[in-house]
Amino acid sequence: MGLLAPLMLGLGAAVMAGIVTLYILRLRREERTVSSTFLWQQLVRDVEANAPWQRLRNNWLMWLQLLAALLLAPALARPFFKTAGVSGKNLILIIDRSASMGAVDADPTRLERAKSEAIRLIDQLPDGARATVMAIGGELDVPAAATNDRRELRNAINGIQLRLGGGSDMSQALSLAGALAARETDSEVAILSDGQVTVPTSTTIPAKIRFFPLGESANNQAIAAVTLNELAPGALTFFARVRNNGAERVVRRLVVELDGTLFNAYDIELPPGQDQTINVDVPASTQIAHVYLDGTDALPSDDQAWAVRPSNDPIPVRLVTPGNRFLATVLGLMPRVAVTAYLTETAAFTDTPMLTVLDASLPDPLPEGNLLIIAPYRSTAYFSVTGVLDQPVPRPSLTEEPLLRGIELGEVNILRSVHVENAPWAHTVIDSSSGPLLIAGEVDGRRIAILGFDLHDSDLPLNIAFPVLMANLVGYLAPGSGGESAFIAPNQALNISVTSDVEQVRVTLPNGATVELEPRQGSATLDAAQVSQAGIYTVELHGAGGVVNTQRYVVNAYSESEATINPVPVLDIAQAGGGVVGSTETEQAQAGKDEWWRPLALVALIVLLIEWVLAQRGGMTRLRLWWRARRTA
Amino acid sequence: MSDVGGLFEPAFLKQLDRLVLLTRRSTVGQMQGERRSPRRGSSIEYADFKPYTAGDDFRQIDWNLYARLEKFFLKLFVAEEEITLHLLIDSSASMDWGEPNKLRYAAQLAGAMGYIALGGLDRARVQAFGGNATRLPAQRGRAGVVPLFRFLSQLQGQGPTNLVDACQRYVQTTRVAGPLLLCTDLLTPDWEEALRTLSRRPFEITLMHILAPDELNPPLEGDLKLLDVEGGDGVDVSADLDLLQRYVERLYAWRQEVETFCNARGINYIFVETTLPLDTLLVSVLRERQLLR
Repeated sequence: MGLLAPLMLGLGAAVMAGIVTLYILRLRREERTVSSTFLWQQLVRDVEANAPWQRLRNNWLMWLQLLAALLLAPALARPFFKTAGVSGKNLILIIDRSASMGAVDADPTRLERAKSEAIRLIDQLPDGARATVMAIGGELDVPAAATNDRRELRNAINGIQLRLGGGSDMSQALSLAGALAARETDSEVAILSDGQVTVPTSTTIPAKIRFFPLGESANNQAIAAVTLNELAPGALTFFARVRNNGAERVVRRLVVELDGTLFNAYDIELPPGQDQTINVDVPASTQIAHVYLDGTDALPSDDQAWAVRPSNDPIPVRLVTPGNRFLATVLGLMPRVAVTAYLTETAAFTDTPMLTVLDASLPDPLPEGNLLIIAPYRSTAYFSVTGVLDQPVPRPSLTEEPLLRGIELGEVNILRSVHVENAPWAHTVIDSSSGPLLIAGEVDGRRIAILGFDLHDSDLPLNIAFPVLMANLVGYLAPGSGGESAFIAPNQALNISVTSDVEQVRVTLPNGATVELEPRQGSATLDAAQVSQAGIYTVELHGAGGVVNTQRYVVNAYSESEATINPVPVLDIAQAGGGVVGSTETEQAQAGKDEWWRPLALVALIVLLIEWVLAQRGGMTRLRLWWRARRTA
Repeated sequence: MSDVGGLFEPAFLKQLDRLVLLTRRSTVGQMQGERRSPRRGSSIEYADFKPYTAGDDFRQIDWNLYARLEKFFLKLFVAEEEITLHLLIDSSASMDWGEPNKLRYAAQLAGAMGYIALGGLDRARVQAFGGNATRLPAQRGRAGVVPLFRFLSQLQGQGPTNLVDACQRYVQTTRVAGPLLLCTDLLTPDWEEALRTLSRRPFEITLMHILAPDELNPPLEGDLKLLDVEGGDGVDVSADLDLLQRYVERLYAWRQEVETFCNARGINYIFVETTLPLDTLLVSVLRERQLLR
């Protein structure tokens, strides 16, 4: 135990001495003449002693005031116990809300434990200290920025919810934390996570970093993939892949339900780190497959998954190009994609497809619907072309970018690319040291992806990454196309293309709630925040005469990085002033100060209240008598 | 009879005219009156026979008895004499206190009792003791009412209570015993000695213990230095509920103590709070205690 302000003890002693002195000086009482002191003398013989100390002996009010001072003095000295925690005056809390934090090996979950731990750290903050709360997992959220309002901080922490999608990249959070810490001395960064995060190697934080590792178990088996594939008309195949991310061999039972009816169950033996697949023929009429692993593990959210039968309706895609064999070929090979090619000079289009691919061409105005713009040569209302990037080296912007799923960019070479800027609505998919090469995002109710380089200026079309990238891009820009068209990532906005006869779009969420969407400019968008649950999203397109079309989309919780949940005790983060590697739990023990002046102050307040009541009880008695007389009157 | 000194209303005096002073035993008087005396006298009420001895008044020889017994006996008759009502009033400063005022109440009580006694052809004598001890010589008959009322109305409370000295002096200077009414608040440490002193003479003592409401429930609050109106060192108190409760308990115990002391010595103890109307005291309480009829 220690004292933050030990000088206050001296102040308390002075106050107590002052109280006693005042009472001694105050011994000159108000004189009151009575008929006789004969009876009073018999009552108060002990008070008549002349010694001041004896006079003080039975003065309850003075003793209560001394007791209050005795309690207040140590309270002002701010006593504390050393605990696991932080001690800085500018606390930056980074709370991991990624899917792995939903593991139930901490009571009740890792995220809830992280939140309670964060609130404990907030409560430990010294008076006047400020805190910033960041939530990583998906897009970085900063629900409370540099505030000393503890209620706001608690509310911000309590408002953090689990994110199934988006991975857990700490780059942005650490960059922001570094900027905040650089502005204020005595900053401290507290990271509350299970350690399953992506940490940039180059970041140095000019502050003390405390890592609070969460979680105990690595036991997790997940359904990594599940599909319904119609390889031939009338031949439907069910495919499931189950992965053991734990460290021990386990046997789990995979239960398969088709359209709500139990189809089969398979006992699967899973060695650590290994996959097992199930591939069976199922009835051709099957629409929905729901599979789950019987039993429990530490992360139950990825123990179940869904798949829907792919739609057979062709998806129209318009290709505007001066002539690009690569594009025409790859689009033509995609299942259910009906490509209509136009020459670059075409200015007016009669059809309204879901996706338009503009290869080295930019009609003015831009066509309606979603756009894939390749090698733009001029600026538009949505972006600016500011220059040329020579021989950029492509690299993924995020480790878990859905659009780069299954793509290895290491063997891709690019001669030149245009530099696309001023597109705040988009995020970078493929980056380079000199500028973005592929950006994608949503603006004005439609999705737009911009590939900065001409395919002829790159060996990408000759690489296996090309068809996969195009499949991913088309799947993103034309939802419902491709073999995995019905799968959407958690916390990813669902863009639904609608025809002109559709008046309303109704989406039924997995929990049964419905969301009404208004179509706008040929599409309707379900916000990313509403795509937070795993399960089936049923989209009904309503026209004047009723339901025009029904589509189903699947959100599964599985993520390869999040399925690995073994807690990591050490984070490799460089700190300023020595490059110390991220702290372990044992290193950060006893760093915090748990102040306990509040109970002392509370007791002192109660004592003062009692003293006041005692001092006023004559008045209270009169008040009581008056009240009693009034009631009886 | 008109009011003198503002002590009473005329209507109240008419009420007093119907009351008669009672005594528990006969006492020797100085003059002939209307009360039985232990002495033999010349009333028509037979008292006793006594063998004749030389020097006796032979006019009292019962000749009928001599005819039967051939011996001389004197036939004795009860003497009827007056009695003297002794009114002792504590006029110390502590009695000049309270609302209603204790001294005024004591003066009115003594006046009423004196008026009743004088109306019954008895004597009334008043002794005030306090800082300025004064006395009214024995008055007799209706003619004494005016001096009595004037004396009582001029009483002023001052000086300390010196009850023992006053009682001793009174006992020593009084020739004739009789009913004695002591009106005091008894707020003195030597009250026992004072009562004991009075008991040495065959007075028919009635102690009128008079206290004001402020003395029964003191309206005190806070840290105070209590000063005795009769002087002396003050008493420091912190008047809280606890102390006031203890005061009330102590006062009650003290009254019990006084009453027990009085009962043991045949003293009639009557506690009076000055809020009690005087006519109620006279008509109800004193008649009930057989001091008046």
